[in-house]
Order: sequence, then structure tokens, then C-alpha cells
Amino acid sequence: MTGDSMAERREKKSIGGDLVIPVAALVFTLYYFSTILDSPWTAQVSAFFVGAILIALIAAFLVKSARQIIRKEASWHFDTLVSPPGLVLRRLLLLVLTLAYIALIEWGGFTLTSFGFLFLAMLLLGGGRNFRLALLLSVSLSLVGYLLFIVAFETRFPVGPFEALMKPLF
Amino acid sequence: MEFDWDIFAPLFAHTLTFWWVIIPAIFLGLVVGAIPGFSAANTIIILLPLTLAMDVEVGLIFMVALYCSSRMGAGIPAILVNIPGTAGAAATPLDGYPMTRAGKGQQALAISFVSSTAGGLLTTIVALLAMPWLAQVAFYLHSVEMIVVMLFGISLIATIAARDTLKGLIAGFLGLMIGAIGADAVYATPRATFGFLELYDGVPLIPALVGLFAVSEAFLVIEGETILSGKGQDLMRKAGWAETMEGVRAALSRWWHIVWTSLIGLVIGVVPGAGASIAAFVAYQQSRTFSKTPELYGTGHIEGLVAPESANNGVTSGTLIPLLVIGIPGGATAAIMLVVLQYHGVTVGPELFIENPELAYGVFTAMAVTYALMILTILPLSRYMSRVTMVSTTYMAPLIIAFTLVGSFVPREYLFDMYLAFAFGVLGYIARKTGYHTAAILIGVILGPLLEQYFLRAMKMSQGDLTVLFSSSLANILWVLLILSVGFPYALEYRRKRLKERE
Repeated sequence: MTGDSMAERREKKSIGGDLVIPVAALVFTLYYFSTILDSPWTAQVSAFFVGAILIALIAAFLVKSARQIIRKEASWHFDTLVSPPGLVLRRLLLLVLTLAYIALIEWGGFTLTSFGFLFLAMLLLGGGRNFRLALLLSVSLSLVGYLLFIVAFETRFPVGPFEALMKPLF
Repeated sequence: MEFDWDIFAPLFAHTLTFWWVIIPAIFLGLVVGAIPGFSAANTIIILLPLTLAMDVEVGLIFMVALYCSSRMGAGIPAILVNIPGTAGAAATPLDGYPMTRAGKGQQALAISFVSSTAGGLLTTIVALLAMPWLAQVAFYLHSVEMIVVMLFGISLIATIAARDTLKGLIAGFLGLMIGAIGADAVYATPRATFGFLELYDGVPLIPALVGLFAVSEAFLVIEGETILSGKGQDLMRKAGWAETMEGVRAALSRWWHIVWTSLIGLVIGVVPGAGASIAAFVAYQQSRTFSKTPELYGTGHIEGLVAPESANNGVTSGTLIPLLVIGIPGGATAAIMLVVLQYHGVTVGPELFIENPELAYGVFTAMAVTYALMILTILPLSRYMSRVTMVSTTYMAPLIIAFTLVGSFVPREYLFDMYLAFAFGVLGYIARKTGYHTAAILIGVILGPLLEQYFLRAMKMSQGDLTVLFSSSLANILWVLLILSVGFPYALEYRRKRLKERE
């Protein structure tokens, strides 16, 4: 990208990110309508009423955005959504770690999976620094969570090998 | 059922002797209130074997203390890390969190504690004095009137949208559409469930709350070293006891605000099924409507914090009135209290006040004693609690994600709810990065299904006649008040502009 085009892009408002919610809302509303077409009126009335207003609002927003693009006041870029650029990779990895945490908690149980997630996420966000502190915190926090939620409150958190091992004790 | 002062003083002194039950219940309530997914209701269920084994009086005092303190506890993470502990505290971060970011977390906590205590105490006294009349409120507020009450709360979307009308309204209406997911209330037709059985009951509130506020917050705060602004960090480092006292003074100087917003909470709390979230949103909207500085709301304005905190604590005493007077629980916690009372052979209703007045009035004195002891125990802690905001986001963000995601699992014990919270987290992140207000989405998700439920009930009863919405005098008065409260800020703004032009 040339220096001029970079400067031009900085001057223009990036509205690509602003369109994500309205477009997702539009797709969802149309999907919603498709599920109630043959339903009784009680299932339709409020959805059609609210959905129609939402579509009108989205249409107005899209028209406003298109006018800004035509007048060259705005660009289609997604800068607002991914700023600051230096954090994009870290954020994406945290997102993957979070999904992995949810996916693995069923087998690993609360304590072990929380420990793994906390430790890796702290290392990731800390840029690999403070290894010992991250280890200490993740061990102590997951153990406190285990004692508070599972032992004290008897909450039915997902259980795994650690909880099974500790069961005879508590 | 008329209140007898001769009973009150000895009863108050007698309740104070149960401090050994009340204080542990306060701390337990603060903890469970502060963690999304936990609440007074499910904690009391977990501890049911314990409460059933206790003497009925001790058990009731324990439950009341836990209930009151969990309400206050829910506001703590809402203020400090933008994560409401329960839906009742969903309006608290609107102004509480901006105060924290500016380094005034300690003041914000003190304001919240004083408003909650004063609001809770005042409504307890009003409940004691006006119980027979307040019990009637539930009879007068039918589905038609409740539609207007819901609209009071939903009109807050328009208030939030004031800064960017289109974005605010899109967020609010998207929330209403999401809130309409699930089987319809009359024929149970599944709507927009994506084939997931877990969504047939509608979108569960806790995963929505956790995702929109907590998970999205965790992905945002990693942009800074701590959640505080640069100036905020300096202020927080220098903070001492004076900041707590500043918060206390700020709340007390707004005593009138506490009075009327807590009364909103009391009246809404009396209606079975209406909850603290409705009261908090309505109180916030009304507070902004009649404020001289509405433009400051959402920026860390003290009244914007006082209103929801007073109102949601006002609800606490309100929900117990229908339980004790007519035997209909006003909320989930009150329903569990009913189970405990029935287990001990106590019949609730008007005869309770004749046969066992100490127990009936004792519920409210327990509430008053709890609030009095709570402010004494929690206020000194505000200085230390606010230090949480100094923790590096490297450690704070993973902690928020792990513990709140698991919190979303707790109410229904579905792994699906954790994925749902994650999806709401992504939605919340995109919304906040691009200027769509997550609070507007949440208002829609919370109030949308309730509004639909009351609307369908009204339509079924009137056989589809829309004029039923204007069929009662009370509903018509409420409609006029709604129109006035929505139109009033615009009229005020117009007048201000005219005055400025003349100057």
C-alpha cells in the first residue's frame, strides 16, 4: 500500500466493521421469519412486528453507509473491528483457547481444564514472560475454584480425572 | 394485618441476636451474587437440607440475609469489571464502570453500597407500614398494565440510542428478536431455535449476560495494561479512606433520588414475575428522564448508579409481600422460602399475621437488620475491593473468561450454555468495537420475552381485540405517563436549545 493511499484510508471512516451487526441481524431476522411462516398467529405477531422494524432500521443504516461510501467519506475497511493491529494474532489465539476450553471441559473436568486454560492464556497474554507467576496463579485459582464451587457449594461442574481422584477425600 | 409498633422494637432487638446467622449469610450472599450464574435462589436450593434442618425462624433469617446481600453483591463486579453478577444488576455498569475506569471505583462501590442499603431499608419500612395496600398492587397490575411497565424499561433503548440513534435502535431490536427465540407461549411452536432443543425454552439469561458483558470485556481489556485509564491508575494508587467517604457523601446527598427510585423497585417487586432487572432499567430510564443533566448518563454519572442500585434492592422487600400476604411468591427466591415455610407447617397468607405475627413481621425486621449489618461490614471493604482494578489484564482476562463461562453452565448444567455464552461474547465484542451498545441488546433479550408473554395473554383474554390495551383506567394513566416520560427529554432539550439561542 502506498503512503498516499494509507493517508487517504486514515482520513476516511472505516465502516466495514459497523456493517457486521446489521448484516448478521438481517440474516437472523430472515431466518426467524422462515421458521414461523406456517405457525399460528401467536407465534408470529411479535416477531413480525419487531422484525419488520428491525429490517427498516437496517435498511436505513445500509442506505446511510452506501451514501458515505459514494461520497467517499467512508471506506469498506474493517479497521475498527481489528484494532489495534498488533493484538490481532493474540486475540485470535485467545479465541481458539477459549473454544478449546469449552470443548475439553467435558472430558478434562473443571479443575484440570481451567488450570490448562488459565496457564496458557496467561502465558499468551504475557508474551511468555512471568512463567512461574502464571503457573502459580493458574494452579491456585483452579484449586480455589474446585474447593469453592465443587466442594463447598456442591455445584455440578463438569467433572474429570482430578475430581474423580479427589472424591474420596471430600 | 395493620402494623403494630409494640411488636416492632422487641422484634428488631430479637432479630439482632441472630447476628451469628446473618453475618455469614451476608458474606455468602455477596460471593454468590457477585458470580454470574450463581444467585440467592440456587444457593438456597443447594443449602436446602441445611435450612430445612434449622429452626423455622433461623432458617428464614438466613434466607432473607442471603437474598438481600446477593442483590448487593451483584453490583460489585458490575462496577469493577463491567460484569453484572445477576440480571438485576445489568443497568449498574452503565455508569458504575465508567467511574471505575476513571479511577473512581472505590467511590462507585461506596455509592452502590449506600444506595442499596438506604433503598433496601426504606422499602422494608414502607413494606411494613403499607403491606395491606401494597399487596393490592398485584391485583391491579394485570397483563395490560404490565405491558406498559415493560415498555417503560424498553424505552431505555431509545435513551441509550440517543448518542447514535440507528445503531442503538438496531442493537435494541436485535436483542428483542433474540429474546423471541424459543417456543411461543401459547402453542409452543419452536421459533428460530437452529434445531437446538436447548433453545426451546428461549435464550437463557445468564449465558447472554456472561457473553455480552464478561467475555467481550475480557477480549477488550487486553488492549490496556489494566482496565483503568492512565489518569485512573494514578488516582487509584493515591486512593485512601477519603475516597470511600466521598462516595458515601455523594450517595447521601442524593437521598431524594434514592427514595423515589427504590419505591419504583418496591412497586415493581410486588408484581409476581416482574424482577429486579425490570425495576433497575425502569428506574434508570426515569432517573435520566427527569435529570437536569441527561447527557452525563453513561459517562460515570452518580445518579445513573444510584437509581438502579436503589431500585433493585427495593425489589427485594417487594417480592416478599405477595408471598406473605396472599401466599403467591413474587420471585424464585420467594418461591423457595415458601417451600421452607410449608415444610415447617407455616401457612402463609393473612392468617400468618394473626397467628404468628413475630414470624410474619420478623421477615422484614430480618431484612432491616441485614441491611444495617451489611453496610457496617462491607463499606470498609470497598477500599480493598477496588484494588482488583489494578490487577494486570494478563491475569484478569483469562480469569474472567474461565470463571464466567463455567458460571453460565451452572443454572441449567448444559454444556451448550457455555458455547452460547461464547457466541454472545463474539457478538458483544463486535458490538462494542463498532459502537453498538451491549446494554441495549441485553434489555431486548431480558424484556422482550416478558413483553410478548404479557401481550399474548392480553390478546387471548380479549380474543384479539387490540383496544384491550386501553381498557383500564390504570393502564391509560400509565400510557400517558409513558408518552410523557419518553417525550419529556425531547421537550426539555428543545426548550434548552431555545433558551441558548435567545442568550
